[in-house]
Amino acid sequence: MSDAVDISVEFAGLKLANPVFTVSGTCGYGDELSDFMDVGSLGGFVTKSITAEPRKGNATPRIVETDAGMLNAIGLANIGLEKFIEEKIGVLEKLKTSVFVNVAGQAIEEYVQVTEKLASEKAISGIELNISCPNVKKGGISFGTDPALILEITSAVKKACGNKVLMVKLTPTVTDISVTARAAVEGGADALSLVNTFTAMSIDIETGKAVLANKTGGLSGPAIKPIAVYLVNKVYNEVAKDAGIPILGMGGIRTASDAIEFMIAGASAVGVGTANFIEPGCAVKIIEGIKGYCRRKGTGKVSDLVGTLG
Amino acid sequence: MSKTKKGLFEGVVSFNKQIGERFYRLGLRFKGEAGKAFAGLVPGQFAEFDISTAGLPACGEIPDDLRDSARRELLLRRPFSFCNVEIDGDEVEVEILYCVVGAGTIRMTTLAAGDIISVVGPLGNGFSVPESKSTALLVVGGMGAPPILHLAKVLKEKHPEIETVGFVGAKSAVDFPLEEIQGQSKDALKSMSDFELNGVTWQVASDEGDIGHKGFVTEKLEEWLGSCDAQKDTIIIYSCGPAGMLRNTAAIAERHGVDCQVSMEQMMACGIGLCQSCAIECKGDGGTEYKLCCKDGPVFDSRDVVFKV
Repeated sequence: MSDAVDISVEFAGLKLANPVFTVSGTCGYGDELSDFMDVGSLGGFVTKSITAEPRKGNATPRIVETDAGMLNAIGLANIGLEKFIEEKIGVLEKLKTSVFVNVAGQAIEEYVQVTEKLASEKAISGIELNISCPNVKKGGISFGTDPALILEITSAVKKACGNKVLMVKLTPTVTDISVTARAAVEGGADALSLVNTFTAMSIDIETGKAVLANKTGGLSGPAIKPIAVYLVNKVYNEVAKDAGIPILGMGGIRTASDAIEFMIAGASAVGVGTANFIEPGCAVKIIEGIKGYCRRKGTGKVSDLVGTLG
Repeated sequence: MSKTKKGLFEGVVSFNKQIGERFYRLGLRFKGEAGKAFAGLVPGQFAEFDISTAGLPACGEIPDDLRDSARRELLLRRPFSFCNVEIDGDEVEVEILYCVVGAGTIRMTTLAAGDIISVVGPLGNGFSVPESKSTALLVVGGMGAPPILHLAKVLKEKHPEIETVGFVGAKSAVDFPLEEIQGQSKDALKSMSDFELNGVTWQVASDEGDIGHKGFVTEKLEEWLGSCDAQKDTIIIYSCGPAGMLRNTAAIAERHGVDCQVSMEQMMACGIGLCQSCAIECKGDGGTEYKLCCKDGPVFDSRDVVFKV
C-alpha cells in the first residue's frame, strides 16, 4: 500500500487541492474563519449570499436548535453587491482557494445583474446560484421548486457569467429532485450543489407560536445527513453521472466519515456548513481525515471514491 | 481594557458547585495559548461552550419540567459570559454562573473536576471604562449577574478611583444566582437591603419583596440618580439582565443624561459572526440596522440599541 494519496479533485474544470468546501452562509465573506484555520487550505469556499442591494434580514429569533440540527431564517442579510465588491473582493483575492459567490435575488434580472458584475472579478472561480428564493414577480413561488423557472434562470445567468463556473444549488423541498437537477443541467449548469436546507418549523407549545420570527426556517445539521446522502446519490445516478456534471454534496457533514459517505454516494466535492458554527476549523480535520481514509483503504486518488456505492 | 486573540481551546473543569436549586458555579482552567487568550478576557466578553459531550444526570435527578427537553440531541455550543478570571502564573481559571433551564444546562450539572470541555473564545466586545468617569453604577437583573460581577472586581482592582455602586434585582430571593443570597435564611433575607460582594455594596430589589426593595431594581437606580449631586457626565451605568430591565435602565440613563453600556442577549449559533442569527436592532443612518450581538456586542452603548416595547 502506498502512502502517497492524491486528494486533489477536478471540479467543473477547476483543479481543487482537495474536495472540501465551506458553504454559503456558514463561513462569512472570506477571512472570518481565519482565527481558526487556514482558509487557503480548503478545496473551495462559497461566500454568503449576495443580492443586488443590501438586505437587513429577518427579525429575531432567526435560529432555533432542534434535535441534532438547527433551523435558520436569516433572510439573506448581506452587505449588497456594491459593498461586497468594494470591501470583500480584496480579501477573496488573497485566499488561495477556489471562491464561489452565492448569488440570490428576487427576480431573474437581479440574478443576472449581480452575476454580470461578478463575472469580471479575477478573484472568483464560480457563481453558486441560490434558487431557493421566492420569485417576487411570480407571486413568491420559489425559483427552486419549478423546473421551468430553474431552466429559465439558469440559462439567463449562464449567459451572464462569462468563463466562471456556474453551480446551481438545489433545494430538497421538492417532490423529485432529479427533475429540478435536470432542469438546471439543461439550463447550462456546470455543477450542482445539494442539498440546501429543508423547510421546517419549530413551535413553542407554551405560547402556541412558531419559535422563529419568520415562522419557517431551513433545517440543517446532522439531522438531515441521511436524507442528503440519499438525494445526492439519486441525482448522481439519474442526472449528474451521465451528464458529466460534478456534485458538491452537503447536508450535515461534520466529520471525514460523513464527507466520504457523500463521495461514495456520488459527490465530487463536499461542503461543510453548520459544523463551522460548532467547530470552526473542522474542515481542515475533514481534509486530513479523508486523506487518512484513502491511505487506509489504499485509494490512490480521492476522486476514485466518487459514485462507488456498491 | 485590551482584547486578545480568540481561538478554539480545551479547558479543564476545576469545580462545578451547586449554589441554589437551579444555580451552579463552574470553574475552568486554561494553560498555554488558551491561558494567554483568557488572561486578557474583558468583563462582558463571552465564550461558546461545547457541552454536547456531557452526559445527562440519572433519570431521577432530572427536574420534571425538563424531562422532555433533556432528551434532545444537542448540536450547538452554548454562550456564557464570565463572573471571574483568576490568573495564576501561566494558568488561568475562569468562572461562569449558570442556571439549569434546558437540554444543555441540565447536562452541565454532570461535569466534574478534571473533565475537559471545548471552548471557543474569548468572544465579542466587553465593557469599556471611559477616562472621564468617577462613578460607576452597576445594574443587574437575575442571570445578568456574571459579567457585571466580573466588571465590579476589575473596577475595584484597576480603577480604585471610581466609586462603584451596585443594584441587583430578581423576581424573588430564590432567583438570585448568588451564594450571598442563596445561603441565607428567610428571616435574614427579609431584613437584607444590601450586601457586599467584590468590594461593592449592592442594593437589592425583588418583584415579590421577599428580599430587599419590593419592586424593580431600576427604581432603586432612579432613586439614586435623583438624589445624586455629581455631574451627570462623570457617571456611567453598566447593565446586564432581562430585556425589559435593560430597556428601563436605558430610558433612565437617557432621562438623566448619563452614559450607559448594556450587555445584550440573543439566540446565537456560532458566536463568531458566521451564522448572522444574533441580530440586535440598532439605530442606523436614517432608520434602523441589525448589528450582531456576538461580534458588534454583546456590550452596546444603550443609545445605539432599539429596545422592543
